[in-house]
Amino acid sequence: MRKSARFAATFLSVAALNAFAADLRPVKDPVKIAAVFPRAAQLRLVNVWALWCAPCVAEMPDLRAIDDAFGAEVALTGISMDDMLPDASPKPVAAFLDKNKIAFPNVYYTGNIDDLGDYLKFSGEIPITIVFDSKGKEVWRHQGRINRNQTIARLRELLRRKP
Amino acid sequence: MRKLLFIVILLFASVACTAEPVKIGAQAPAFTLVNALDGKAVAMKPADGNLKVVVFTCNQCPYAKAFEPRIIEIAKRFQQKGVRFYAVNPNDDAKYEIETLANMKARADEKEYPFPYLKDGDSAIARAYGARVTPHAFVIDGSGAVRYHGYVDDSAKPEDRKTTGLTDALNSLLNGRDVANAETREFGCTIKWKS
Repeated sequence: MRKSARFAATFLSVAALNAFAADLRPVKDPVKIAAVFPRAAQLRLVNVWALWCAPCVAEMPDLRAIDDAFGAEVALTGISMDDMLPDASPKPVAAFLDKNKIAFPNVYYTGNIDDLGDYLKFSGEIPITIVFDSKGKEVWRHQGRINRNQTIARLRELLRRKP
Repeated sequence: MRKLLFIVILLFASVACTAEPVKIGAQAPAFTLVNALDGKAVAMKPADGNLKVVVFTCNQCPYAKAFEPRIIEIAKRFQQKGVRFYAVNPNDDAKYEIETLANMKARADEKEYPFPYLKDGDSAIARAYGARVTPHAFVIDGSGAVRYHGYVDDSAKPEDRKTTGLTDALNSLLNGRDVANAETREFGCTIKWKS
């Protein structure tokens, strides 16, 4: 069975057990991450994380709160790096997102660290949060765990800057 | 007053930022650290004439643990060619008991580390190297110059491996060549800094 088919089967079986089903999509080519964002979003926030990264897991409720604080003008996407480990599977990632009721889409990244690092221009240290405008221009980045209120304030400031 | 405020802001900014890794060609910082395996101090003298690998790693990071067998394999292969290996654990053992010297020894014994497993108790050596994550590898030549830093390989999964950064660097240097890809993208768990 192809990896995408296996992924879909796993995703559907996890989704069937939960009332809340997170949006988790397998992506191998980093360029395709851009397509996850709704076109209407003025600001697009990418958060790179993994289940094995303690500060990443700790900041997930903050990301949910940030998502709740805005409407369609700010769109979030998580990029799970869990597939970097041998014997990894999307199942625990989907279960974690379901349990934490993460409504914004997440990507289960199955590509190479260099490809993603080149695409996002980051060293490889996670968590990292990067915000792009609607034209794909980077407008802010934060290395390490985010502060919920400061990030919300920063996003509001960036929205005000928009023409 | 304004000048003082600027200096204070500058100082705060320098503390808050993650340091950059030691530049390629710059002298590697020397260190003397306790080896968890036998409790004895081990001195790493950068200009000792030997090719050396310093890998920042730890007990708790799944990504570092995934690379452990690979690091051991590389060490065994290149130690036969005279390369010296030092594994350095910079994580705060006051906050994380798994990183204590006793637990480091347990892990090193269990996995039969063929190199010293050194405790960087105040994270000072990791700071001096500008290490960011575990695992983060540095290669130092016999004159003490840093010749490579970054990942061990670009993937912990052998089937996805495209670039073997550390191995390539060692092979190049052993063959008298410059390292083509001297800076790669370290990936792993953020170092649990001792504050």
